[in-house]
Amino acid sequence: MAQTSQGKPRRVLGGLAFLFILLGLYFALIEAPPDAYQGEVQRIMYLHIPSILTAYLSFLIVFIGSCLFLWKRERRDDILAHSAAEIGVLFTGLTIIEGSIWGKPTWGVWWTWDARLTLTAILFLIFVGYLMLRSLVEDEDRAAICSAVLGIVGFIDIPLIHMSVYWWRTLHQPPSILRPDKLPWENIHPSMLIALSINFVAFVLLYFYLLSLRFRLGEMEEEAKRLKLYGGSAKLTAMSMSNGGA
Amino acid sequence: MGPWGFVFLAYGVVWGALLLYLALLKRRRRKAEADLSRLGDGP
Repeated sequence: MAQTSQGKPRRVLGGLAFLFILLGLYFALIEAPPDAYQGEVQRIMYLHIPSILTAYLSFLIVFIGSCLFLWKRERRDDILAHSAAEIGVLFTGLTIIEGSIWGKPTWGVWWTWDARLTLTAILFLIFVGYLMLRSLVEDEDRAAICSAVLGIVGFIDIPLIHMSVYWWRTLHQPPSILRPDKLPWENIHPSMLIALSINFVAFVLLYFYLLSLRFRLGEMEEEAKRLKLYGGSAKLTAMSMSNGGA
Repeated sequence: MGPWGFVFLAYGVVWGALLLYLALLKRRRRKAEADLSRLGDGP
């Protein structure tokens, strides 16, 4: 019953995400004009910025879920943080790949040890480590506590990534949208801003759709583990009783 | 590769990976549902 009541909003969310993805593709590949300097290749920006902002959002949810788990020790918060970390790693990995594909025609290289790129790679590795920790440590409570601490520490890398283009001399350009000195529409043409905004909404809707699916999966896996444990102890009790034990 | 080649490569990789992840999530979910119903029917 509860599953049905959760399923309908999720389907609506999935439908909305699909619509915005189609709209975003139209605006990014057809409606938006080419950049005056970079030409058509700048259209990768409509993927690159939404995907890194979605990754930041995901790691913010890991941070919140981890803090709540360490404070209240409720399994739901841990499942939320774990689910968000998995999707965050996916979006960060995709951001690095898109950036690399964009870097080749604009910078002439697939990769360079620029401060922002390196810090993004570190963020990716921190959360790959988070996921590995979850699968390698057998004691689940210990894994949850250790990964919650790593999730909180890992989140500190995000302000460093954002500010790296100001603090160090980098090849990566300064932010197009989230600038402390300018409003978004002062720095980018409105037709490009509309395409970027639609793609950002599409990524956020898709993100929450994926997160709701992944969270439900986490809940079901938790329930299955509990049932296995319960079934196992029930069988042990039955065996010990048949053997004349306590 | 021309500029549109890089654009389509980036879009193809991103949407391909996201669709693959969605398909894997749905498969994992079906497996978890099957596990749950099996465990629910058990002793």
